[in-house]
Amino acid sequence: MTPVIQVQNLSRWYGNVLGLSDVTLEIDAGITGLLGPNGAGKSTFLKLITGQIKPNIGSVAISGQKVKNNYSLFRTIGFCPEQDAYYDELTGWQFLTGLLRLYHFSEPEIVRHAQKALDIVELTPDKDRIIKSYSRGMRQRLKVAQAIAHEPEILILDEPLNGLDPLSRRKIIRLIKTYKQEGKTIIVSSHVLPEIEAMTQKIILIHQGKIFAEGDIHYIRDLIEKHPHIVSIRCSDPRKLASLFIAHDFVLKVNFLAGNDSLLVETNNRDKFFGLLPSLFVEHNIEVFEITSPDDNLQAVFDYLIGQ
Amino acid sequence: MKYLWDSVWDVFHFFFSLGRRARKAKVFYLISFLPVVLAGIFKFSQIFTGEPHFEGIYIFSNMIMGFYLQFLILILALFYGTSVCSEELEGKTLTYLTTRPVPKPAIILGKYVAYTALVILMVVFGFVFSFLILNVNDLLNFSLYKILLRNMAVLVLGLICYTAFFTLIGTFLKRSIMFGLIFSFGWENVIQYFPGSTQRFAIVHYLKSLLPAQVSEGFAFLLFRLEPTPPWLAVLILFLITGVFLTVACLIFSWQEYILQD
Repeated sequence: MTPVIQVQNLSRWYGNVLGLSDVTLEIDAGITGLLGPNGAGKSTFLKLITGQIKPNIGSVAISGQKVKNNYSLFRTIGFCPEQDAYYDELTGWQFLTGLLRLYHFSEPEIVRHAQKALDIVELTPDKDRIIKSYSRGMRQRLKVAQAIAHEPEILILDEPLNGLDPLSRRKIIRLIKTYKQEGKTIIVSSHVLPEIEAMTQKIILIHQGKIFAEGDIHYIRDLIEKHPHIVSIRCSDPRKLASLFIAHDFVLKVNFLAGNDSLLVETNNRDKFFGLLPSLFVEHNIEVFEITSPDDNLQAVFDYLIGQ
Repeated sequence: MKYLWDSVWDVFHFFFSLGRRARKAKVFYLISFLPVVLAGIFKFSQIFTGEPHFEGIYIFSNMIMGFYLQFLILILALFYGTSVCSEELEGKTLTYLTTRPVPKPAIILGKYVAYTALVILMVVFGFVFSFLILNVNDLLNFSLYKILLRNMAVLVLGLICYTAFFTLIGTFLKRSIMFGLIFSFGWENVIQYFPGSTQRFAIVHYLKSLLPAQVSEGFAFLLFRLEPTPPWLAVLILFLITGVFLTVACLIFSWQEYILQD
């Protein structure tokens, strides 16, 4: 099956500055998180795949078609740019309907699509206010609305959660997840790891214009064998459990967390560790309240990779 | 081709509506109505003093030469023409247009048509009102309306041509306003008085060639050394260069890569 987005040896320079270097990857349906610090090349990548800038080397294909100057392709793409820029003198409704007009929809279709998008981002009550008077969160949601209003198959969101309050953040994350359930392709960029983690496990790590790793979070962790893994366990007898762990060479460190019934275990072999856990609980009659893996987030992987 | 024109229409629709609401439009509407205020002051002073120094059409012709042709249409065309491209870059809104299923030339042409229509409306309202005020005692003299229409056609042609030129400038120059000011009040103002064929390198030469010969003594210097081009040829050239300006603007906009700075 042809991947939705196919990128071959993509490179781009801005004068002497490297924007993106020799990136080859394929993106399928579902949510893909593009993760990297500011200036890593995320926006350059997104601009290249949406045809806003040309690559110096390499090619981009969306649904098997070239992107540059292929304007009809944009019927299937929704793009939410990073910059907080709007036609400020318009109302939210005018902004959305005006942009929908560029898809050559009929008047009733424009109204239907605009209404639906505003409902989704929960801006309907404020649709007749001018954009200038919107809060940052409302502006950001309007930006997302213009990307989804024409019901695209591919949604590309450049830092969509930037500067949002927690409530707005949650709304947009929920919206993105809904899109995934509809079988669409979503690419979300961010420099904040928990944001991406809240949306997807499928990530692309980008830094200094290069792809560091791609895959799901566990796959990426498997790439980093030496990187220790931390597991927090809350149970009825943490001291007993700790004594059982230290008998195994793949357990590197055990710490008790002060003031509660938890312990923090550091291991260099995740699979063996999780394979052992159930038998220990059962054989020694230890009641488990909670097992979490605070280390199993993108921040740990990212910090480790960048540090290499 | 139909898709291109449909896209031009859609872009036009969006930006005509946006342009009408913009704060900039309000400022320029006010400037465009200055001649109406001046005409009103002049007419009132005539009525109150009872001294009809000049005929209305005489004042009107001076107004066209002095204010409209040498100032207003240049300023309007400059600010609206250059903004076709530059306002999208400065406002970082270009992405909203280039990620729609719209050919790039349609963005330029649609915005150009929208803004040209706006500036024509601005000029025509003030122009007609000042004509009516200045000739309020002679409104049944239908020969005056011929002069009105001809002058109006010249200004409209001027706006069409200048806006196309400044649209082109805006697609590739960062400091397009600065260049435009130098062009408008430098080049156009100087070259038009050069003898021989040199004056044909100024757009205003063709516009002046189309004006009815009604210029008063006070502003006669504006027609100094004018060696008029035949009206049919002047119209042809104005349309031709407009077409060239717009074609090149569309080509540049399609080719050029605009990086929106954060």
